[in-house]
Amino acid sequence: MLRIQNLSKTYPSGTQALKNVSFDVKDGEFMVVIGLSGSGKSTLLRCINRLIEPTEGKIFWDDLDITAAPPADLRRIRRKIGMVFQQFNLVKRSTVLTNVLSGRLGYVNPWTSLLGIWSQEDRQHAIQALERVGIADKAGSRADALSGGQQQRVGIARALMQDPKLILADEPVASLDPVLSHSILQYLEQLNKEGITVICSLHFLDLVHRYATRVVALKDGVKVFEGAAREIDRAKFKEIYGEEAQEVRAASL
Amino acid sequence: MPNETVNSRPVVRSGIASALLPGLGQILLGERYRGAGILLGFLLILATTLWYGKPVWYVSPLLIWLWNVWDAVSLAGGRKRSILLPLFFGLAAAYGIGWQVVEIDFSKADMDRAMAILRPMVRPDFVQTRREVNQMWVPVQVPCSSEPPAARREDAGRIATVIPDCGGVGETLIVTVSGMWPNAGMNIFWQNPIGNPLMLGEGEITMLTLTSDENGSITTTIRVPTTALVAAPDPTLPQFHRIYFEQYRPTGGYELSFIGSEVLKGALATIAMALLATGLAMVFAVPLSFLAARNLMSGNPLTYAVYVVVRTLLNILRSIESLIIAIVFVVIVGLGPFAGMLALALHSVAALGKLYSEVIEGIDPGPIEAIRATGANWLQVVRYAVIPQIIPPFTAFTIYRWDINVRSATVIGLVGGGGIGFLLIELIRVNNMRGVSAVFIAIAVIVIALDYISAKLRERLV
Ligand SMILES: Nc1ncnc2c1ncn2[C@@H]1O[C@H](COP(=O)(O)OP(=O)(O)OP(=O)(O)O)[C@@H](O)[C@H]1O
Ligand SMILES: [Mg+2]
Repeated sequence: MLRIQNLSKTYPSGTQALKNVSFDVKDGEFMVVIGLSGSGKSTLLRCINRLIEPTEGKIFWDDLDITAAPPADLRRIRRKIGMVFQQFNLVKRSTVLTNVLSGRLGYVNPWTSLLGIWSQEDRQHAIQALERVGIADKAGSRADALSGGQQQRVGIARALMQDPKLILADEPVASLDPVLSHSILQYLEQLNKEGITVICSLHFLDLVHRYATRVVALKDGVKVFEGAAREIDRAKFKEIYGEEAQEVRAASL
Repeated sequence: MPNETVNSRPVVRSGIASALLPGLGQILLGERYRGAGILLGFLLILATTLWYGKPVWYVSPLLIWLWNVWDAVSLAGGRKRSILLPLFFGLAAAYGIGWQVVEIDFSKADMDRAMAILRPMVRPDFVQTRREVNQMWVPVQVPCSSEPPAARREDAGRIATVIPDCGGVGETLIVTVSGMWPNAGMNIFWQNPIGNPLMLGEGEITMLTLTSDENGSITTTIRVPTTALVAAPDPTLPQFHRIYFEQYRPTGGYELSFIGSEVLKGALATIAMALLATGLAMVFAVPLSFLAARNLMSGNPLTYAVYVVVRTLLNILRSIESLIIAIVFVVIVGLGPFAGMLALALHSVAALGKLYSEVIEGIDPGPIEAIRATGANWLQVVRYAVIPQIIPPFTAFTIYRWDINVRSATVIGLVGGGGIGFLLIELIRVNNMRGVSAVFIAIAVIVIALDYISAKLRERLV
């Protein structure tokens, strides 16, 4: 179980991106974070694996205090947390296989990895991960030769290489069209069913309804809602997204 | 149109204002930039013509001034006049004065001199027909001692004799050589004891060339060259000089001429000089570029200070032409490719440092974040997220720099930096236009070839 307690983040610029946010994520949940642009979703997800250092508050993973972990422990925690990004964040000039293999960096001998040497086992593992997302034939291509949907699948394969217990997905489908969005989220759903906890930020409410087991909503860094997706009625919606907002459906785009 | 009568006062006012100070009327009408531009342009042209001092050109600022009043008046009436007219007045004056300042004078060109230079250039001295040489010599004593030895020498069936056995400067000698190739041209020249050749032909400035008879013999009279004893420490002391006989005949095919091989050596030296300079520059530029990358260094005030210092130094260094740095190094380490190489390297450190740092500033932070998220350590992040992003552009910029450095190296040679440029200046000095032409061709080939290679290599990197 992941327990987020009174989490706050103030950037050096003075922006308060998170204000005293607390919630729990139980193992096996598909937790979706929603909120307007700038509400603090990315900041929240990056605080969990400390790509961003929280200013205040604590994050416990089972009994482990992530926020207090020294660097070596933090790297050991991170390798169990896969991450998927809106912009895919692949190394564009490297091959798909190298991108996927890099998911293993937290496990392998650091020195051999610096020489670019990978064990046969890791390579097979990588090919299997690519097979799972249906693009094993692209292993030798340069990452930037792939379409957006394919690149995001490489991103998922990279996360899979970490043998993760938790996957953080920061708007994984915001750069993709609706059909691709569903195919990517179905991979995450599949992984979730196999026991990996997923925390995912999303924009479109219909996707939230379809995939979320639970929802947390942020507004200006404050948690304004926590509960099941179906509990978000018109009033809640207006509260989260403001009076002007219209519900947009991914499918209608 | 009641407006026009109402506006007649601003018309007069802005007209007078602009007449007093060009642009003022326009500024008063709210056209600040236009007014300032007019004033600056007017002052510039006025200053230029005053400095040059030829009254004809005063007409230009005058016309601009007139136009400016007209423009101010029109502007008050709501119409802008095109600035093409004053621009034309200004440019006409600038070009006219420029023409005279540069002292353009086509009558100075001398067609005969041009042809004397250009004609040999049509035949670049790069290769020559392959030929073999038949060489013979005989010693002669100058001036005579009391008992001179016989001026006779035999070698491989060839015999050369001189009568008398010795002579003083300007005296006539009868020279005979036999056993040479028959019916073939033969060069005959003098060689003083320190090995310098002296001509024996007309006025001692041309080669004495004769043709052997059917037996391969020649007999001729020569004069001991007037300059034979110029280099002698004591002109009264008898010393042995030599008379040389040389025949050439083609053996078919071509070979590199002496100048040709010098050109090749020079070209290689230039390319190597550029290569070494680029490599050396890279070694220093890579670490410096990290210090000059704003995104890495803007974290705290100390690193930011380092960034500012390094950036400024690189900018200053980059603004000094490598040719000038070369002149300094020629003074420090002496003439030769080493000075040129150091100059190129120093300039390239600055140039590459800037290009590299811009690459680093432009890297995508996304992959860095992603690799950090996998639990990778700092070195692994650099190896897997940073290096793949910077290696190709670094390599591309380095190749590009090498390409530029080869070009600069040829120029740097001119100031004593070695390589093909140095050869060029030497050949120009001795007026060897066939050699100069060979150098030109070699430089053109190198530059075009490298340009092509570097473009191809860089294409594959992006
Ligand atoms: N590195 C940073 N430095 C300063 N302020 C930042 C930084 N990153 C984010 N912020 C600010 O923090 C607030 C929350 O940003 P965050 O990226 O977490 O929002 P988000 O919900 O992910 O938005 P989006 O939907 O646009 O991705 C915003 O006001 C943003 O401007
Ligand atoms: Mg975001």
